[in-house]
Amino acid sequence: MRRHNWYLRLGCLLTAVMVMFSLVGCFWTPYDPSALSSTDRYAAPSLTHLFGCDSLGRDIFSRVMQGAGTTLSIAFAVLLLGGTAGLVIGALCGYVGGAADALVMRLCDAVAAFPSILLALVVLAVTGPGKRNVILALGVLFIPSFARLVRGEFLRQRELDYVKAARLAGVRELRIVFVHILPNTLPVLLSGVTIGFNNAVLAEASMSYLGIGVTPQDPSLGYMLSEAQGFLMRAPWYTGALAGTVILLVLGAGLIGEGIRARMGDGT
Amino acid sequence: MAELLSVSHLNSWYGRGKDRRQVLRDVSLTLEAGETLGIVGESGSGKSTLARCILGLERDIQGTIQVNTPHPQMVFQDPYGSLNPAKTVAWILEEPLRAAGLRDRGARQAKVREMLHLIGLEEEHLSRRPAQLSGGQRQRVAIGAALIQGSKLVILDEPVSALDVTLQAQILQLLADLRTELGLSCILISHDLTVVYQLCRRVAVMRSGVIVEQGDADDIYDRPQHPYTRELLAACLSE
Ligand SMILES: Nc1ncnc2c1ncn2[C@@H]1O[C@H](COP(=O)(O)OP(=O)(O)OP(=O)(O)O)[C@@H](O)[C@H]1O
Ligand SMILES: [Mg+2]
Repeated sequence: MRRHNWYLRLGCLLTAVMVMFSLVGCFWTPYDPSALSSTDRYAAPSLTHLFGCDSLGRDIFSRVMQGAGTTLSIAFAVLLLGGTAGLVIGALCGYVGGAADALVMRLCDAVAAFPSILLALVVLAVTGPGKRNVILALGVLFIPSFARLVRGEFLRQRELDYVKAARLAGVRELRIVFVHILPNTLPVLLSGVTIGFNNAVLAEASMSYLGIGVTPQDPSLGYMLSEAQGFLMRAPWYTGALAGTVILLVLGAGLIGEGIRARMGDGT
Repeated sequence: MAELLSVSHLNSWYGRGKDRRQVLRDVSLTLEAGETLGIVGESGSGKSTLARCILGLERDIQGTIQVNTPHPQMVFQDPYGSLNPAKTVAWILEEPLRAAGLRDRGARQAKVREMLHLIGLEEEHLSRRPAQLSGGQRQRVAIGAALIQGSKLVILDEPVSALDVTLQAQILQLLADLRTELGLSCILISHDLTVVYQLCRRVAVMRSGVIVEQGDADDIYDRPQHPYTRELLAACLSE
């Protein structure tokens, strides 16, 4: 019990710090992230430039802040899109059941049969790169896994007597689904959200790294990573700072998810 | 008095295709207004299924069921599963009123307080969730939620079998009091003849989906006709 709380606490703390860091990065950075400076090219980390500078003399700390902001906003948008749609689809499928449920689930199976990043690559190859397209492609691809998770929970819950009691009392079906059952699936949803968040961060990073993700106007961590590898030897701190940020983001959400799952296992 | 409920030649099945299995066979019974009918039988004999049929929760049935009162309600067997774990007692008691279309929040809360008093709970319990209540308190809330819409017919499915003996007596007493106070008609389901005997004048004995004996509780208690009833009785008395 104590150890589980520890996961959850550390995860929340880490995530809070990273979210703050990224949020601030959306509005303010110590230097202009795209300001060039010929004197600072490849500057090593110092007190003026915490993480040093890149090949064009841009402040890496400022760039990482900005990149984290972009990555995080994409991840949240993907979660919002995929999570909301998955939630509604999964809840209705699980509660209603029958032929409609079977049909929708086969459809989800079909989408889920492809590795999602691969499918996103194909979609983006067609629609072209850009932040909006990345969000749309990843968001739609996240629907099946989320829908499946929610559906399983609803299948379990709808058999419980409190649902029958609500039906007997004449509560309307939609209200039973979203007001009576939904709150009881929250722990499972939250742990699903943390996994989804991590997948979104990693998927966006891989796509942008491969050059089919975001465009140079809104550089994300993955996009910057593809820049950084060009001078990995001369400015290893750039790659290090980016990789560290991604790892901390994913680690925070992972710890939260682990904490929630452990808690559910406790039955408290 | 008028018949509140009549069930005749009811058959019901579970499962589909190859797995379709008959659970109730040619069940007939009636319930007069103000009466409490006991249904006894061993585990798996189909008592809960009969209750669900009466309430319209089963689909695969044959026969006629006539319910001459609006919104019959049920108190479920397991007070752990029948209360929504995410909600407070106040919410659980208020929800049937919302569902019945009572818009006025003040009126709803007044009714909730009234019911809280009837089921013997205190104001402090209103803000608790089911996990923060004892088994007996939970069953009281379940009873309150079933009765708060003013239903006149309530099916009590093993209302006390999840509770220990002293609590059983308390809840049975509560049910007896509520029955007179609110003018209820009840069907009391139990595997325990002595529980049924405390509340019911008339008893039906069920075995593998068939009613094997039906009649006056005293008669059945003193002069059981069917060998199965004798077995049940012996099992209760030996405990
Ligand atoms: N949803 C279901 N699907 C398939 N079979 C079921 C279902 N519910 C009950 N049954 C079966 O129907 C039979 C009657 O079950 P029921 O729950 O009505 O018995 P009961 O008399 O209430 O037993 P208990 O005293 O244990 O509550 C049992 O054999 C049971 O296995
Ligand atoms: Mg039962």
